Amino acid sequence: MGEKPKLAASDLQIERRPQPRLLRILTVITALGFAGSLYLGLAAAGTDILQGEIQRIFYIHMPSFFGAFTAFGLTLVGGLIYLARRREKWDRIALAGVEVGLAFSLINLLTGSIWARPIWNTWWTWDPRLTSAAIMCLTYAAYLMLRAGIDDLDRRRAFMSVYGILAFVTVLITLFIIRIVPETIHPVIVGASPQNAQGGFEATSGVVMALIPSLLLWLIFMPLTLMWHRVRLENRIEALNRLKTQALSE
Amino acid sequence: MKITITLAAFILALLAIGAVNAQDGDQNGVAYFRSRAFNVPILAGWEDQSTETVAQFYLAEAGATIRTAIVPQDDILAAAGADLRAAFGVDFGGPGYQDKVNLADGTWTVLIYEPDARISASVMARHVENETVVISFVESDPAGRILMLAVARSDESEADASGEIDAATGRLLDPAVEFFRQASLALPSGEWMVLSAERYTAMGMVFGNDSFLALAESAAEQLPALADAYNRTLLGFFITPDNSTYLALGLAAAFIILGTLVGSLFWRERALRKDLALLQVLAGEDG
Repeated sequence: MGEKPKLAASDLQIERRPQPRLLRILTVITALGFAGSLYLGLAAAGTDILQGEIQRIFYIHMPSFFGAFTAFGLTLVGGLIYLARRREKWDRIALAGVEVGLAFSLINLLTGSIWARPIWNTWWTWDPRLTSAAIMCLTYAAYLMLRAGIDDLDRRRAFMSVYGILAFVTVLITLFIIRIVPETIHPVIVGASPQNAQGGFEATSGVVMALIPSLLLWLIFMPLTLMWHRVRLENRIEALNRLKTQALSE
Repeated sequence: MKITITLAAFILALLAIGAVNAQDGDQNGVAYFRSRAFNVPILAGWEDQSTETVAQFYLAEAGATIRTAIVPQDDILAAAGADLRAAFGVDFGGPGYQDKVNLADGTWTVLIYEPDARISASVMARHVENETVVISFVESDPAGRILMLAVARSDESEADASGEIDAATGRLLDPAVEFFRQASLALPSGEWMVLSAERYTAMGMVFGNDSFLALAESAAEQLPALADAYNRTLLGFFITPDNSTYLALGLAAAFIILGTLVGSLFWRERALRKDLALLQVLAGEDG
């Protein structure tokens, strides 16, 4: 075996490259948009006279699910392209999608539970929509745990790509279950609610006007901005890990 | 880059438009009188005499007023008397009729006051914490006399309110009254049964375990409109729940999770820099 090259000071130049201009712009827009959408939902929109102030949580609860949808969708795309081309960056995108999507779906789940307490008089019920959302969260939490348990990098990337693709089924089930299973108390905003739905409200033009900016923000800007930061971080973490391995092997 | 900026401009424009238009996001398709304490439907075609805290609608051609107020008194009789006195400047004395009825939102006390032939007041009242909500129908039509009340159904197997109408007219109008005509009438509040006698008209509508009744002596033309308006007020009355604590809890949960996500990026960045600095020290020692 040949002698391994020594770790040189120049190898350690994984200094932070300056953020791309587009990322800086995205970050500012996302922060401003988040503040603006909070203002719309919490201050500009009128109070729902039937449900009271708690209805304002809707402007976070529903958009956060769609943010998770985007992030998990990018995990699916990342997994498919990684399996096709075996390029690491797609695996990093898939990982970033899981972390961001999991945070968003936890927000969705928790705000829903808190909304349910005064309206349904319970923190939790094993309703089809709630159950599928909980299973979705657990499935993606398991992604992170499994990923940490596989040491071989190539095997890990391939296995997690397949897992990320299959896990997207739970997202689709959560999205469509209230259209398929009529025995749900979870209302829908677009279209007729199921017969047993409780706690719905009319999507008036004012509600829609307050919702659309929030929805666009959570659907596009928040997942993309957070995922981009996460991918950059992962690039540097992997570079550092390579250096650590190299340093230990000397 | 262009797409991002266009999308961002679109979102910012929506935010600006949304800030103007989101104000009507709570109408639920029905025009409501809203106060801090309660909500009732606004009666179209009635003169709106409401103040900030009291909903009051007046129909001049019937000399009728429908009023909703929350009185800061625990005693229902005292609260109803005080509200009527304050609104109409008349001492209504004690109620000539008093009963209780269980509706979906609680137990209501039904009171009827007839201090003299010129004026009568039909009142529904119930406790709201330490206060009393009073929904009153007051008529001062010299041409007739109109009373409104809700009663528990005497025979729930009956499909209509005829039993309750008979009992109420016998007690409040004329024990000897005999209705000779029966009809049904569809109003926005529901399907009513209308019974007519020579001098009297009575309307009744079954609602769950109760019946709503409207009784008129002589002046019957306005009775359907009045009965419908009072009923819509009774059934449309509700108190917006104060659940702002849950909203604060929900926001806190969302911020904690988002903060944890963003914080973890910073934390991992810091840890990475520390590791890198250590490696640089080790590489320097080796060199």
